[in-house]
Amino acid sequence: MTAPPVKPVAVLGVGAAAPSLRLAASDVGTAWGSGGGRGTVAVCDADEDTLTLAWQAANAALEAAGVTPAEVSGLWWGTARPPFAEGPSHAFLATTLGLDRTVAGGLSSGSPHAGMEALLGAWDALAAGHARVALVVTSDALVPGLGTTAETTTGAGAAAVVLGAIADSAEGPSTNGSSPAARLVARTTRAMPAVDRYRADGGGATGDVYDARLFREEVFVPLLTETGRALSQDAASPLAAWAIADPDGKLASAVAKRLGAPLASAPVYGALGDAGAASALLGLVQACAGTGSGATGSGATGSSATGSGATGLFGAIGYGGGRATAVLVDATRPVPGAVGVEQLGAGRRVGYPEALRARGQLEPMEDPIPMGLPPGGAAFVRGNPEMLGLFGARCRSCGTISTPPSIHPTCIGCGGDELEVVALARRGRVQTFVVNQTMPPPFQAPLPLVVIDLDDGARLMVQGSPADAADLAVGDTVTLSLRRYALERGIPVYGFKAFRVAGAGATVGSGQDRAAQEGGR
Amino acid sequence: MSWNKVAVVGAGLIKMGELFEQSYEQMAAGAFSAALVSVDKGLDKSAVDAVIVATQRGTLWGQEGIGGNTVPSAIGLSGVACTRVENACPSGSDAFRIGAMVVASGVHDVVLVIGVEKMRDKSTQEGLLARAAAGHPLYNRGETAPVLFAPFATRHMHEFGTTPEMLASVAVKNHHNGCLDPYAHFQSEVTVEQVLASPMVCSPLRLLDCCPQTDGAAAIILTSAQRAHEFTDKPVYVAGFGVATDHPYLHEKSTFVGLPATTLASGRAYEMAGVGPHDLDMAEVHDCFTITEILDIEDLGFVEKGKGGPASLEGETALDGRIPVNPSGGLLAKGHPIGATGIAQLTECWWQLREEAGQRQVAIRQGFALQHNVGGRGSGVSVVNILTRNA
Repeated sequence: MTAPPVKPVAVLGVGAAAPSLRLAASDVGTAWGSGGGRGTVAVCDADEDTLTLAWQAANAALEAAGVTPAEVSGLWWGTARPPFAEGPSHAFLATTLGLDRTVAGGLSSGSPHAGMEALLGAWDALAAGHARVALVVTSDALVPGLGTTAETTTGAGAAAVVLGAIADSAEGPSTNGSSPAARLVARTTRAMPAVDRYRADGGGATGDVYDARLFREEVFVPLLTETGRALSQDAASPLAAWAIADPDGKLASAVAKRLGAPLASAPVYGALGDAGAASALLGLVQACAGTGSGATGSGATGSSATGSGATGLFGAIGYGGGRATAVLVDATRPVPGAVGVEQLGAGRRVGYPEALRARGQLEPMEDPIPMGLPPGGAAFVRGNPEMLGLFGARCRSCGTISTPPSIHPTCIGCGGDELEVVALARRGRVQTFVVNQTMPPPFQAPLPLVVIDLDDGARLMVQGSPADAADLAVGDTVTLSLRRYALERGIPVYGFKAFRVAGAGATVGSGQDRAAQEGGR
Repeated sequence: MSWNKVAVVGAGLIKMGELFEQSYEQMAAGAFSAALVSVDKGLDKSAVDAVIVATQRGTLWGQEGIGGNTVPSAIGLSGVACTRVENACPSGSDAFRIGAMVVASGVHDVVLVIGVEKMRDKSTQEGLLARAAAGHPLYNRGETAPVLFAPFATRHMHEFGTTPEMLASVAVKNHHNGCLDPYAHFQSEVTVEQVLASPMVCSPLRLLDCCPQTDGAAAIILTSAQRAHEFTDKPVYVAGFGVATDHPYLHEKSTFVGLPATTLASGRAYEMAGVGPHDLDMAEVHDCFTITEILDIEDLGFVEKGKGGPASLEGETALDGRIPVNPSGGLLAKGHPIGATGIAQLTECWWQLREEAGQRQVAIRQGFALQHNVGGRGSGVSVVNILTRNA
């Protein structure tokens, strides 16, 4: 079978994200009396999941690419752990990103190969001319079975790529008239009907491989080596480096050795563990950043400054569920947004019980207090767009912004009823706050609740980060990030939370001015 | 404004507390009895021709059937006209205001205003606000009752240098007063050190900065000034009242160093009564948290904005201070059975103006007392009533 010629697409920008927590493999070993395990893995905090990670990475990629949400014609999301096994995962993510309701694309799932399937889907739509700018997001946060070796390898993370069509004529809008920094130029896929890690329908945790050596010798290494070699044959020159999905911190380097080029993605596993569907693109972002090139599991080398990216031909191989896909990236200039994984933050180190609690694998016997309103009910059907998109209602008469629009048919400033829905600023200053220490389950103390004067003049109260509880002060600068507020009757509820911007404390002219004026009325 | 003068001729309450042994109905009957007994010349209960009931949380805390019919049946007045009033934490004080307007209108002659609240038939964590799951699913997520006032403490401290000791001094004073009030939930002194060492509930508010969850009931009998002397030679009169609202949610507040609804409501009440803050002999104000009393005494005009903390610390609001505040022990010590709270405060004002308050009696010089509540997601509505013994 001869594959038709591949039509290249432009890489306009990339982004990456890591969750907040880190768990030492040795802590897992201690808990189970096995003593083993090296390194640390990334774990989602209780208010993070694949959707919040996807949101973070996608925003970073859009910003790097200089693409506005309105310009995105399709969203392709790949994750083995969508927030709903069945449900509005894609619609939720698209809304949180501010994408148009007409946005194309889809959700790929079923195995960690989903990340590559999302990338290929976007590529196909661009090549076919059905989309001009595609946002590809890969994210994962696998839940390992308790007591399995996967507990010491399973991590979490996200990577996103903004792709643009390369127009046949000069009117192509996607590359701003200049040639793109990088292009996707070749791809290939190989399949093998072998069972490795899997989760049955309705299963909570992912089961480990049946036999680690069987998986290595007969499945992973031969399949990825075959896929990588097939891709190499399409390359015009030798590859600068490989980015390879890595289930255990050893398999990827075994493949890279056989492929005969350096493994640039080793720092990704080292920092985050196996990021599932996000592994390959996280590795590619790392390769493009250049900080890990030539370092086969020996840690990062070279400059870590953003923008000092690498150029050359990079191969990325994703794997999952018996399928491997390799793509070839030709980077002629540093790729916007390419960062080394070490720039994603070191995370907060937690012990095994905290990690289990954050992953929802350790729960109190006491029933959690239900939300006042069911997440499937009318208040959410009405309110989801404004909660996920963070909207306010701006008064055409006095400019005051009332939030959220659905409970404000009139302006809180002047009572006027000529209002327009606007997206709120994502940054502001702390007007006042509390740290709540006393709440029933499912709440966990300390929980900051922060009243923020946003940069656009709107005032908002949202939850803050427990990590900021000790340091938060009036006048602090905070940014808003998407988090999971609740998992209610199995339904995730998302909204924005405030995070303190370190080093950007109070300055003259903070929220105090407004209060002083008001106090004087 | 022209209205017929209204008099209070009876008032009473039951001992506040965790009244596990009493039902909602039993508490109501107890408060009504106390009010009847207090009528100097006696009052046959059949004289009551309308009842106004204040219960705030009935439909949410297991008393799903609470309405206009529940209380008359419980207190032996089935058949009488009855309406339930719900207006957040000021439910009781607003029921009083409405009762006064009913009498002033001439439609009813003798009106019973009764507040009843069962707070402890469910666990302390099952209370609507304690569950932190009420209101907007995102913007109020995690919002327990202290969250409604703690942000004001944070900001008040930031702008005026109000200290935790100043907050604590409010709790110390009100617990002291509670020791002198046989109806108070708590009758024990606390020290500043104890307040500052109590567990942090919601920073900057500690456990002893917060009022308890209290069961209780209180009742007041109103009639026209013309008929008052049929029942007593020492009537107390309704001098004025005011109600005002604010946006309900915290992020809609225009300020975090004051409660504008209180300023508006008290302004209306002062104007109606033709008095000002300096004419008052005492006040019962809404001290659900220590910071609330500090905000109240500023917003009611007792002290300058920003000076509520030092004034409290320096004893200006003590029983023998310039303006005694919460001689009953306030919500902090007497308790806050929501629908009953305002009526219990008015009962204290009635006792004080009649100089029947025993060890906690304050000096009555000008004959005016003020009662205040604020509530509704914290400070969405405020009610102020002013009573006088001056004919």
